[in-house]
Amino acid sequence: MNPPALQIRTGSRSRPWLRSELLLLGVLIVESLVFARTGTHFATVGNALEILRLSVEIGLLAVVMTPVILTGGIDLSVGSLLGLCAVCFGKLWRDGGLAWPVAALATLGIGGMAGGLNAVLITRLRLPPLIVTLGSLSLFRGLAEAITRGVDNFTGFPPSFLMWGQGYFGGVIPAQAPLGIAVMIGVGLLVHATSLGRSLRAIGFSPEGARYAGVPVGRQITVVYLLSGVAAALAALVYVARVGQAKADAGTGYELLAITAVVLGGTSIFGGTGSVFGTVLGVATLAVLRNGLQLSDQPGELAGILTGVFLLTVLAGEMAFKKYSARRVASGMLQTSTASSKPASS
Amino acid sequence: MKLNTAHLIPDAGVSGSVASRAESVLRLTGLTKSFGAVRALRGVSFDLKAGEVHALLGENGAGKSTLIKVIAGAHAPDAGTLEVFGHPVDRLDPATAHRLGIACIYQQPALFPDLTVAENIGLRLEPATAVRWIDPVQQKSCAVEWLRRIGAEISPDSEVRELSMPEQQLVEIACALGAGARIVIMDEPTSSLTQREVERLFAVVRDLRRQGVGIIYISHRLEEIFALADRVTVLRDGESVGTFPVRDSRNQPALTEAELIRWMVGREVSQLYPPATGAPGDIVLSVSGLGCAAAGVHSVDLQVRSGEILGLAGLVGAGRTELARVLFGLTPADSGEIRWRGRVVRIRSPREAIAQGIAYVPEDRRRHGVILEMPVAHNLTLAVHRTLFPGGWLLPKAEGVLAGEWIGRLGIKTDGPQAPVGSLSGGNQQKVALGRWLVTKPGLLILDEPTQGVDVGAKGEIHQIIRGLAADGLAVVLISSDLPEVLGMSDRIAVMRGGTVVTVLPGGSTASAVMAAALGQPPDGTGV
Repeated sequence: MNPPALQIRTGSRSRPWLRSELLLLGVLIVESLVFARTGTHFATVGNALEILRLSVEIGLLAVVMTPVILTGGIDLSVGSLLGLCAVCFGKLWRDGGLAWPVAALATLGIGGMAGGLNAVLITRLRLPPLIVTLGSLSLFRGLAEAITRGVDNFTGFPPSFLMWGQGYFGGVIPAQAPLGIAVMIGVGLLVHATSLGRSLRAIGFSPEGARYAGVPVGRQITVVYLLSGVAAALAALVYVARVGQAKADAGTGYELLAITAVVLGGTSIFGGTGSVFGTVLGVATLAVLRNGLQLSDQPGELAGILTGVFLLTVLAGEMAFKKYSARRVASGMLQTSTASSKPASS
Repeated sequence: MKLNTAHLIPDAGVSGSVASRAESVLRLTGLTKSFGAVRALRGVSFDLKAGEVHALLGENGAGKSTLIKVIAGAHAPDAGTLEVFGHPVDRLDPATAHRLGIACIYQQPALFPDLTVAENIGLRLEPATAVRWIDPVQQKSCAVEWLRRIGAEISPDSEVRELSMPEQQLVEIACALGAGARIVIMDEPTSSLTQREVERLFAVVRDLRRQGVGIIYISHRLEEIFALADRVTVLRDGESVGTFPVRDSRNQPALTEAELIRWMVGREVSQLYPPATGAPGDIVLSVSGLGCAAAGVHSVDLQVRSGEILGLAGLVGAGRTELARVLFGLTPADSGEIRWRGRVVRIRSPREAIAQGIAYVPEDRRRHGVILEMPVAHNLTLAVHRTLFPGGWLLPKAEGVLAGEWIGRLGIKTDGPQAPVGSLSGGNQQKVALGRWLVTKPGLLILDEPTQGVDVGAKGEIHQIIRGLAADGLAVVLISSDLPEVLGMSDRIAVMRGGTVVTVLPGGSTASAVMAAALGQPPDGTGV
């Protein structure tokens, strides 16, 4: 076994995302300190919980987007699927006459099926995830609009359902918070503590390499897109419960917010490296930014500008680090690469 | 756009005999080139005359590709001189080579598949300025002219993707001539052609020779050398064995195929290989009539016993890797039967192969053998997740113990189990790729070019490891283009050619016998 000092050194080298997480944590602390000075009632427990309440939907999407991006894929359809699931839930409850828990279960099934559709197209037809989910982005939103004919708005949900988006446990903890935290912990364990999570990274680094190692690549990619679909359905339920209505335009643009949070959290868009913790920090950074600017009476446009600045800064930092470590790795691989570039003449 | 075509108009006044064009268009002396520890060329001299077809012959790895890459300007030699048309050339890069009239036609034509034939030819011939005006009419007439000159019946308007491989080669030749090439290198141009296409290509080559173009022709097919070449240079281990005229003054063959094979192989198998120990055991794997249309493998009959090393020899493209991929379930078989320890089994995925106890260390180590970005420990355990982590939860302690054990047993030099495999040297990466499969405790281990790109020291270590595994009762299939390695390591040698096993030779067979079988020639019987 190695001396502990050695393990610490090599350990940090194999987890470059730790750097972006620390960077992001710094950003989060700095912005909180700034808003604590400029914002009215920013630095209160009540406001912190309010931020948590408002971030659960994006949080669900972003947390489950993390394993998708870890495999080198992407799911652009989650925002549209949130809209589709919202109106499906409304339709099943109001026009289908189902009790809301039954309608909610059915909605989760619809989300899973939609994710399964993405998965089949990606694994069976070998289409790039970007194209497949770009297509299903339009498809799901279009279906949502077809169901409501663009005008229908489902409202009047029973209080026992609305409670999950508007209620508080003990009058303090937002009702949807435990749900979001449970999913976060679940996906965190899946990604970091299971052999499935390890295989997902292998696929992200090198799908062919994973296949040659006997990893059932297609099956595992199917799992992450299925999860993504179910998470979108779950987010739809929380969304409808929070705003009290279900329209076809629910969740428009959420996919981009979720992806921004994931990438901000240090997950490489090329797959392989990343962490759920980073994603959670990413979601928090974005949510605090919006909330803080609001409480500081700043225009909402500033949030967009600052989000862009944060994202580009983190990406530039990641790239610089990659170049640095690539140079270090290259010095070790130099001999190999030149030797193998000698073609066995034939 | 004005093309200078004067140099290509056949000179009616000259008979075209070799004697009248004896000046060398290309002369290389003492060329040396190393890649790390591998010396690909060791003082090779070579010359090419105008109006001759000069064949370049050698085993896999003899240095042919390196030599033509030096001529094409892709590799800079470490030492040696290069003269083109009598003028010494100090630095040759691809652009300079192109300007000097050197063109290289590779096995896989490098054309733009979505553009038309005329556009492809036009792109090569027009001056490479940042902005260019394209005159489609002139582009087309120019393409028609060059295609006509080489006798190719190809429509200039068809998209290149619609053309067959030989047609694409003809387009390449048209491009080369259009660009004023006087030295044309053809790297195994016939490897994917049918007999009729070969004849058409030969007609074009002979026509080029009449026009005074110097042609370097690389092929594994000896009969082509006799049919086409004026002279032949044989390379072996990066050195030139010699340059010989193919025909004597009475136009009779001056060489025999047996002589050529002997020159190509011509060395003793080094005694550095570890000796075999013990007799082989039971048959582990037995396949009959095995085929996979997608992989180009057909009617393979083969048996592997525990404790033996079965060498799989053959030229590149003979189907050795393809056969391994079928056995490992990467491209599942669509005909024939696989028996594993006497039982008929189906292998439809690597997972099923692993479940049976079949392991495959692939040829392309960096893309398939390891995951460079992942730590050594994670690479070592990637194929045993199901047994090492039975509940699906990672067990870092168990993983650390297993990784530590194999790092020690294989002598993997690494900063630690958490160092990414990409930071290791080639030989140590190969040990990780091997270790990943030894961890699975396989019954059959297929090794595909296990020592390619590995330095000499690590090569010896890997040979020792392989021999030790066989001594412990593992069945090993060893695929290698390094003939001495196959001869030195194998208890039996299966020779593949054209997607099937043509013969199984006993251990201790001569290099000539193996080469002859791989080339499809009757053995010369004299041995080496």
